[in-house]
Amino acid sequence: MRLLSSALVTLLTLTTFSFASSSSVLVVLDPSLDRENYSIFFGGLEKRGYNLTFRAPKDTSPAITDYGVSNYDHVILFAPDTKSYAKDITPQSLVGLLSENTNLLIALSPKQTPLTSLAAEFSLILPPPETPLISHHPARSEPQTTIPVTVSSSSPILTPGIPPVWFTGAPHALGSTPMLVPILRAPAESFAADSTSDDDSDALVTASEKGGEGLWAGSQMGLVTGFQTNVNSRVVFAGGVKMFSDEYATKELPSGGPPGNALFATDVAAWVFQEKLKLRIDAVDHRRVGESEVPKMYTTNDEIVYTAHISAYDSETSTWKPYSGIDDLQLEFTMLDPHIRTSLPPVPGSPGAYQVQFRAPDRHGVFKFVLNWKRKGYSYLESSTTVPVVPPRHDQYPRFLSAAWPYYAGAISTSAGFFLFAALWLAGDVKGERKKGSKVE
Amino acid sequence: MVWQFSWLLLAATVQAASLSLQSPRFTISTPDATQLRSDTLSLTEKPEPLTLGPTDTLKLTFQITESDEGKGVQPHQTFLRFYDKASGEEGIQPVRVTPGGKAKFELNMVRPPASIPPTTHNPLEVSLILGSFVHAPAQYDLFDLYLPASQTPAEHPDEASFHVLPAIKHTFRPEQKSPPQFVSAVFAATVLSPWLVLIGLWSKIGVKVPNLFSLSIIPFTALLGAFEVLLVWYWVDLKLGQVLLYGGILAIPTVFAGKQALYATGEWRAGRK
Repeated sequence: MRLLSSALVTLLTLTTFSFASSSSVLVVLDPSLDRENYSIFFGGLEKRGYNLTFRAPKDTSPAITDYGVSNYDHVILFAPDTKSYAKDITPQSLVGLLSENTNLLIALSPKQTPLTSLAAEFSLILPPPETPLISHHPARSEPQTTIPVTVSSSSPILTPGIPPVWFTGAPHALGSTPMLVPILRAPAESFAADSTSDDDSDALVTASEKGGEGLWAGSQMGLVTGFQTNVNSRVVFAGGVKMFSDEYATKELPSGGPPGNALFATDVAAWVFQEKLKLRIDAVDHRRVGESEVPKMYTTNDEIVYTAHISAYDSETSTWKPYSGIDDLQLEFTMLDPHIRTSLPPVPGSPGAYQVQFRAPDRHGVFKFVLNWKRKGYSYLESSTTVPVVPPRHDQYPRFLSAAWPYYAGAISTSAGFFLFAALWLAGDVKGERKKGSKVE
Repeated sequence: MVWQFSWLLLAATVQAASLSLQSPRFTISTPDATQLRSDTLSLTEKPEPLTLGPTDTLKLTFQITESDEGKGVQPHQTFLRFYDKASGEEGIQPVRVTPGGKAKFELNMVRPPASIPPTTHNPLEVSLILGSFVHAPAQYDLFDLYLPASQTPAEHPDEASFHVLPAIKHTFRPEQKSPPQFVSAVFAATVLSPWLVLIGLWSKIGVKVPNLFSLSIIPFTALLGAFEVLLVWYWVDLKLGQVLLYGGILAIPTVFAGKQALYATGEWRAGRK
């Protein structure tokens, strides 16, 4: 029985491994969307080595998961208007995929669908149904809902200098959770509304007077937003599916020139499919200064050297390479609270190594070396190593204290006195009268 | 930049009439209706930054007209945008416009609207965004506004771990202080001084040890000396287990040697030998 189950486990591991190496992607594409109109995006993915499988939302096969194990490394959900899915696609099952390290790229729309409620679980606050993003700026011949959006260059996910991208769809307000990674923000002049004429202007004022989330407007809104889970799987919510289309990728901007849609979509896919900004801790190592072995425990006030080795994934060669590019790594030495928090700088000349030397606190207890580096867009680096810190043993204290000289002298003096007395008493002669007939034996 | 360029381009080409702003005017007043500052706004140049106290009211009035005919219009989008350049926080406040194009906005700092972003000591850039389905859009930078700093918005509990945290240094207990070595030496000498007295008195009376090298006595004395050496060694280097082991081994011959020595001494003292 045990043999059988272990064989099964091995088989499953092998299966997932073989899928991982070929990077399989399931594309759930709504039949109303023409696959040919997304050829630039899908073709680009296939060119980069992804193995795409297409499926309509209501098809039952191919299944996303079999026996609880994901069949695909990544899932693209381009079915923004679909209200009913096959049984295996539910918000719960998609969350399950994320916890299994499967990445998701999800397109939303102004329509209310099961995916809208999924987005809410990721702290995205969507406007009321049927209110698409509108912008009158800049003046252009396209409809108000077809908007060129300037791409901020501050996100590490995107290639710097992407021209504005065309966007049609719904915006979302961002919740406060720091796991959100804003990729594309709405233009400051844009807002969500369902109006089609100037007479509706009062409705906008009324909406905003409802307070709080009454009006979705301005550059604080997101259009494309990523989310990185605690297991480092990634999900991207795009407010509209059209921005990935060939139509938008080739549509000229109002200011002239080609739009950045194709490049933007590539960058977003590269991030969500774990090609970019993927880091890991290879190993951590700690020891006393000058020693080469990891000790079982430290003594208070020991000088400790802590080293972490970090690699970044290189998608071009599909290998992990040492990465020394983090300049704000911090190490904490904690017992309940951090007792020491110090920066962990890269070691010049040894790629991927980060090292710091510090003195253990003069408190004993069970301490942890904690490495917790989280930055938006990058894989989270977390490591915790537990080590006991003990007070010095009885023979590790200094032995020849100058303050104790009188005591040493006293002890030695007594000792020597006893020895001398014993020797004299045994070896000395008895003076005076010797008792005769003593009963001493 | 691209926007502004494209407005210029398209305002001239796509849509005939564009929107324009007439007689924009602001007034800052205190709760008792004293006017602190009142001026018309120039659309080409920002005025001196405006400053609002915690109870002041800012009143902003303007009219929106078609630039060609001067007739008042009600555009679809009349938004005031409050933008904090330093923090990136932004608030959008729609303004109600009458069908004749007249608009009035009041910002009372006693009850600020929810759309005002969290403020710090940095100024908010206030601009007016006009948009319409029939007219070309327009945007005006009105003025910079200093508001009293608001409370910092509540942060997500995990937010801190996404930033560099302040370094923490452990404060170590100070090293133990020893008294000066000279003092220790004086007291050590005091402790040893009885030996001087003892040796002085002995030298007067004289000590005789006729049996020191007797075969009955010397083994015990030597073993006792070995014990003393063992204790000194313990102090300098050995661990307790080693001391007990070596001491245990030493103890066996010492018992017999001691018995022998006492027996011999007893014989001498009894005068039998």
